[in-house]
Amino acid sequence: MKVRVKAFARFREILGSDLSIDLPDGAVMATALSALRDIAGDESGIIFDEDGALRAHVILMRNGKRVKRSDLDTLVLADGDEVAIFPPVAGG
Amino acid sequence: MLTEQERERYARQIPLFGEEGQDRLKGAKVFIAGAGGLGCPIALYLAVAGVGEIRIADRDTVERTNLNRQVLHRESDIGELKARSAEAKLREANPDIHVKAFATTIDETNVRHLVDDADLIVDAMDNFPTRYLLNREALQSGVPLVHGAIRGFDGQATTIIPGRTACLECIFPEAPPAEVCPVVGTTPGVIGLIQANEVIKYLLGKEDLLAGRLLLWDGLATTLETYTVERRPDCPACSPGVRS
Repeated sequence: MKVRVKAFARFREILGSDLSIDLPDGAVMATALSALRDIAGDESGIIFDEDGALRAHVILMRNGKRVKRSDLDTLVLADGDEVAIFPPVAGG
Repeated sequence: MLTEQERERYARQIPLFGEEGQDRLKGAKVFIAGAGGLGCPIALYLAVAGVGEIRIADRDTVERTNLNRQVLHRESDIGELKARSAEAKLREANPDIHVKAFATTIDETNVRHLVDDADLIVDAMDNFPTRYLLNREALQSGVPLVHGAIRGFDGQATTIIPGRTACLECIFPEAPPAEVCPVVGTTPGVIGLIQANEVIKYLLGKEDLLAGRLLLWDGLATTLETYTVERRPDCPACSPGVRS
């Protein structure tokens, strides 16, 4: 199945602005994040910590709804889902 | 009640919301936290729209590196307090309004005094700790907060109505790492004017604010999206009984 990923701000520079990732049917959000970690490559440390977990300030949404950290391993994705991932920007 | 000069000054916008609407703007007090990249366009456009009292606070002095985006400050203002520089330009832009400038660091000891009886707080800061402070003050005082932030070609904005919408800590529970942000002036221009537009709409009682919605601006792709944001039941700032 295909899941669309929209990255914003600094993450767009790392992941691209609008990408589609192929995942096995029944994949959970954590699987999608693992794929994003691979795509980010050397720059994955900006999005993920040393243990591979999302950094605390990162905002993750699925189909416009916030995804809780506690749901990453259980939230099953569906074909055509849209995942948005971005950091807050802080400048003024 | 508008003067003849005010009727003339606002002649092109009064047809949009009537003299009654213009009178509402005249009677409004808005506190703008920051006179930098966001604060400059916000303050300028609220001033020329006729917001009756603008309070603006910034502790910094103008540096040459500010001038690519902080459009109220000029080469000749380098070394001047940003609050004073902004005050002078706003008075020049519209002598019919009141401008109060505060050259001070916004902190726990003065935030209540700065907000005072303002109708709105506008977040034009450059750091999350002060944003969180403004958010808490908004929640405590019940005064709505119009948030904006930028980096590079990217920006975000939302309008927080205390007790009704997600607060800043619901949306951003953790601050991003501090950094000196690269930025092109058009980005705070876009986001600042979205914030100013929210202020005007709120003061006029218009619907469809960015309340409960987070707007994301991508200036490189020229896209603007909004995402619904909900209150977090365990938010330490706004959930009853979870206050920290």
